[in-house]
Amino acid sequence: MALVGRSVPRADGPAKVTGTARYVDDLTRPGVLLGATLRSPVARGRLRGIRRDPSFDWTGVTVVTAEDVPVNVVALIEEDQPVLASDDIRHAYEPIALVAAEDPVRLARALRALTPEIDPLPPILTIADALGRKTQIHGPDNIFATYRISKGDAAKAIAESAVRLTGTYRTHHQEQLYIEPQGMLAFWDARGAHLVGSLQCPFYVHKGVMRTFSLDDAHVDVTQAVTGGGFGGKEEYPTLLALHALLLAKKSGRPVKMIYDRQEDIEATTKRHPCEVTISSGCDREGNLSAVSVRIVMDGGAYVTLTPVVLSRGALHAAGAYRWEHVAIEAIAVATNTPPNGAFRGFGAPQTIWAIERHMDRIARELSADPLALREKNLLRVGDTTPTGQFLKESVGVQRCVEEARKASGWDRKRAALGPAAVARPVSAILRRPAPGGSASRKARGIGASVFLHGAGFTGSGERKLKGRVAIDMFRILKEKKPRFTIRTASTDIGQGTETVFRQIAAEALWVSMDRVDFATPSTATVPDSGPTVASRTVMIVGSILESAARDLFARIEQNRQDHGGSFDDAALRLIARDGTIVSEKTYETPADLVWDDATYRGDAYPVFGWGCDIAEVEVDLDTFETTVIGFWVAQDVGKAINPVLCKGQIEGGTLQAIGWALNEKMVIQDGKILNARMTNYVVPTSLDAPRFTTILVEDPYSKGPGGGAKGIGEAPMDGGAPAIAAAIEHATGIVRDDLPLLPEDLFAAGRTGP
Amino acid sequence: MRMTFVVNGLSRTLDAPPLARLLDILRGPLGLTGTKEGCGEGECGSCTVLLDGVPVNACLVVAGQCDGRKILTVEGLASKDALSDLQEAFVKEGGAQCGICTPGVLMAAHALLAANPQPGEGEIRESIAGNICRCTGYQRIVESIRNAAKEQATREPG
Amino acid sequence: MNPAELALYPFERPGTLAELCRTLSARAGRREKTVLLAGGTDWIVERRLAPAEDPNDLPLVLDVSRLPEMRGITVAKEVATIGAAATFLEIKSHAVLSRRVPVLTAMAREVGAVQIQARGTLGGNLAGASPAADGAAALMALDADVVLASIHGERRVPLTQFFTAYRTTRRAEDEVIVRVEFTLPRTGAHQVWRKVGTRAAQAISKVALAGVAEVERGRGVRSGFGMASVAPMTVSLPSVRALGLAPSLASVSDEELDAATRRDISPIDDLRSTAAYRAHVASALVKNFFRELRIAAGS
Ligand SMILES: Cc1cc2nc3c(=O)[nH]c(=O)nc-3n(C[C@H](O)[C@H](O)[C@H](O)COP(=O)(O)OP(=O)(O)OC[C@H]3O[C@@H](n4cnc5c(N)ncnc54)[C@H](O)[C@@H]3O)c2cc1C
Ligand code: FES
Ligand code: FES
Repeated sequence: MALVGRSVPRADGPAKVTGTARYVDDLTRPGVLLGATLRSPVARGRLRGIRRDPSFDWTGVTVVTAEDVPVNVVALIEEDQPVLASDDIRHAYEPIALVAAEDPVRLARALRALTPEIDPLPPILTIADALGRKTQIHGPDNIFATYRISKGDAAKAIAESAVRLTGTYRTHHQEQLYIEPQGMLAFWDARGAHLVGSLQCPFYVHKGVMRTFSLDDAHVDVTQAVTGGGFGGKEEYPTLLALHALLLAKKSGRPVKMIYDRQEDIEATTKRHPCEVTISSGCDREGNLSAVSVRIVMDGGAYVTLTPVVLSRGALHAAGAYRWEHVAIEAIAVATNTPPNGAFRGFGAPQTIWAIERHMDRIARELSADPLALREKNLLRVGDTTPTGQFLKESVGVQRCVEEARKASGWDRKRAALGPAAVARPVSAILRRPAPGGSASRKARGIGASVFLHGAGFTGSGERKLKGRVAIDMFRILKEKKPRFTIRTASTDIGQGTETVFRQIAAEALWVSMDRVDFATPSTATVPDSGPTVASRTVMIVGSILESAARDLFARIEQNRQDHGGSFDDAALRLIARDGTIVSEKTYETPADLVWDDATYRGDAYPVFGWGCDIAEVEVDLDTFETTVIGFWVAQDVGKAINPVLCKGQIEGGTLQAIGWALNEKMVIQDGKILNARMTNYVVPTSLDAPRFTTILVEDPYSKGPGGGAKGIGEAPMDGGAPAIAAAIEHATGIVRDDLPLLPEDLFAAGRTGP
Repeated sequence: MRMTFVVNGLSRTLDAPPLARLLDILRGPLGLTGTKEGCGEGECGSCTVLLDGVPVNACLVVAGQCDGRKILTVEGLASKDALSDLQEAFVKEGGAQCGICTPGVLMAAHALLAANPQPGEGEIRESIAGNICRCTGYQRIVESIRNAAKEQATREPG
Repeated sequence: MNPAELALYPFERPGTLAELCRTLSARAGRREKTVLLAGGTDWIVERRLAPAEDPNDLPLVLDVSRLPEMRGITVAKEVATIGAAATFLEIKSHAVLSRRVPVLTAMAREVGAVQIQARGTLGGNLAGASPAADGAAALMALDADVVLASIHGERRVPLTQFFTAYRTTRRAEDEVIVRVEFTLPRTGAHQVWRKVGTRAAQAISKVALAGVAEVERGRGVRSGFGMASVAPMTVSLPSVRALGLAPSLASVSDEELDAATRRDISPIDDLRSTAAYRAHVASALVKNFFRELRIAAGS
């Protein structure tokens, strides 16, 4: 029976619905201490010292400061971030010291008995101040990274175009708000350092621990606990938390558990990069696009973390899903004294897709064109080349996505019924429109669309450098008549369904039932490094390694069967009897025809792209400017849906995050401090805010994807939601917003001043 | 303070500080770690348990106020050998992704179905509005609850 | 403070209202701190934000959530009596209230979400005196009285006079809110609850309007309002109320309503919203109320 393509029940489901799944806060060890962090109250300054209240009884309390850190760097892309600040304070909430105690009351008091002594310095808090070099906080120019992409001669082509348009589009911070806060359990024993935690990337943590404690590979063991959501927030940050917990464990000689509370989690951990994008474009009067020039500036926060990679992905998506003959993209990331920004689902693309999609609506407005028709006319197709010169060979399902979403949403009918494009209807007229007879409430409906693409897998030569590995073991338990299999991979299940989908892929390749395939708990001591769980690469890249490892194993068994007869199971057991546990391990082979040049930013930026079209229908209350999303249609080209229910769950969850980013979520930062670091005022959508989704899976297979063509799906849903909502609001009210968010107060302010 | 609760059908007596949070009593001395803490201030609903059949946030209920009362947690939903219809539906229909919100969502949904065996979509959404899920977009949760209601109806005709 | 520190606080459960009043009075006399704990949905959350208290001088926490004198909802002789320990869930599920006082039912249904409704009480809502308290706004529109008890007996304060400043009430330290009472609006009275919050559920209001009005032949005969989150305390919109009693409602203009609303509120910028937005929405909600009222009254 075919497993791939079926919505088999979640493998980790039963444990999760019965409460037996063990998350890090559910774990303990004998003698465990609780740990906490002393943080900077100011955005920038010099740390003079840490005062300990002499009247406090410090017995049984462990305090760790920078002096206790063997190598005081967090090993990420660069080593600019200290594990604990020793002199420079570069952002509010920067960790300064660590405390551990036996019970939470002692711990809270000990933390209060420590006071950092800091001489404050004037901080840089905005992109403008960073670029203006108000003060120097990073290198000579406050710039973390710069990328340029060019194709043809954009400046000239724009100058020669009949329709030239320019706009600037801004996006704001976003907090991942996984519902399980960050947490880590650490201990040391004769074999070295051990960590169990809520994390996406065991080998990132592994690398950081080896570096800070100067340990070798064999003396560090990082294990993933069941993880309550990540969305990128548990990509790089857990390394820092792991180092903190290990430092306390080392000094106290006891196991240490650190669990952030919600406020600390929101304040201290990474967020989505705020971004400013300026786009100039040229096209003809019929809406045939010709040239685009884009300048992107992202706010990286206080340390580099993963900013260059986020920026690069942002730049590579900045031209959108469209054919442009001429492209010029410049992308810059700056340093500010705000908490470091980092990985968040979409990884830079949602910011630049927001910009290009709002710009497409600007063009449609200018030309009085149907926004979806304008997009459709210019969609990339097989045979086109992208801004980096990548030739699109296959799996460009975007046209079908647009057709499906258009049809399912009733776009043509609704667009016609709801009236002409916003440009024809001045804002003030709409806002003053009287209520229809018999009712007092004044509401306006509108429908808007976005189209997006998302590069699946690592950017450029990432996979080639990484060489991800996966193993599958075959073994026999006692006298069982059939062999069992265990998948060993560092790809974690953080809710997206890795455990289930990987079992489907492996079982299908081995021609066995799924219940014979296990998924080993990702632990650096026992699984090969498959690379991080990021970049929509898990199923497409790691799944394909797994599929190939499973197929190899199948071939070995099949060979034995042909040579010696009997059934598949007979052959498998013969192999096990002869060689013991059979291990089939594979390393990723980057397709030979993928070429990428990091120096010129030309070539195949991604092995393949996912594509999608979002259509949002909204109702805006013209008195209160509250937006209700009354319908949402997503059509996404996933290559091949290995498990349609899980696939739709990814798409809907990601889309709601995008809708929340647009309509609810807004981080208020003042003097570098977050004023709304609580769930009561950092507001994410509830079940009553969420629309009913119509989710359409389009399958235009990728020839190298597992299960007959799967490609990355996890991040794309974050790309299109916000611009579709903005377009629908524009259609309903005439209010044009180029900046996120779209809170009622923002629409009210914009509605008053007009476009 | 000495107190007695009936937790998942079993009477449990313990000595605990009266203002300890019910959440800490469940997760600590009672060893029931299925109930989760996502915010500690009543916002996320991942600590939802039923107190005398009504959903409450265990992070905002003090132990002293529960003396003599009935508490149902996620550990009490399944029978010895089978998942409940709700649990089954969540596994099949994608109602749980990362699973951290799931115990709380299940408790809220359990209370809904006990009071209203055939809820409409609006009622389902309202019943879980105090349970924030950041993974699913809620649609699969709503489908799961709806399917569980259907399953229950076919099981108990009339 | 860390919520774990709550474990150190002393706690008692008085069995009767009289016992509670005696304890309150004795402690007030000795200048000892006392906290009344009902549903805990405000007090426990506020502990997290409050500085830690001196462990040698912790307040005594008294449970008022299950005192028989403070529970239950009764409607008799056109007067509704709601115990201070009644929860929003009890209010929203009450059949008579939902028929006769939909403004209250609608309010209760929009408090937080079901978990908060199950614990949060009317007494806690009023005692906390938050300008965003939904219960206070709805009860103000109903012209409810707050009944306070102490060892000296009961006294009654109109809710429109109960709040004296931001988070401050006329309740004395030795008093407890036992119940609220109000005269039922007539059948067919126009009642509106409109909460503009940060999201569709689990939301604190940016502006919320409760309105109750009765009209006789074009003339306003009952006019009650309560508005949340537009001033340091819940406001009763006195100028708007006066317009609601106009001899001819049809002649009340939008401009008059705007001016009255502006007089009655003093909104500010905060984390939830802006002063300008609040002023705009407050006016719009008031105008919508009157528009609907005129439509309902057929004028
Ligand atoms: C997630 C969440 C959402 C919320 N949403 C809303 C909302 O939508 N609308 C809204 O209005 N509120 C909301 N609240 C606030 C809160 O739930 C309400 O104010 C509730 O009514 C408080 O009642 P309680 O019984 O829980 O009060 P408690 O926390 O028990 O007490 C609050 C205060 O009142 C005092 N007190 C309690 N009872 C009495 C009494 N009988 N006499 C004298 N003093 C007394 C206490 O000493 C304390 O100071 C929300 C809270 C949370 C955590
Ligand atoms: S932990 Fe109780 S509601 Fe979030
Ligand atoms: S499944 Fe992850 S928060 Fe709901």
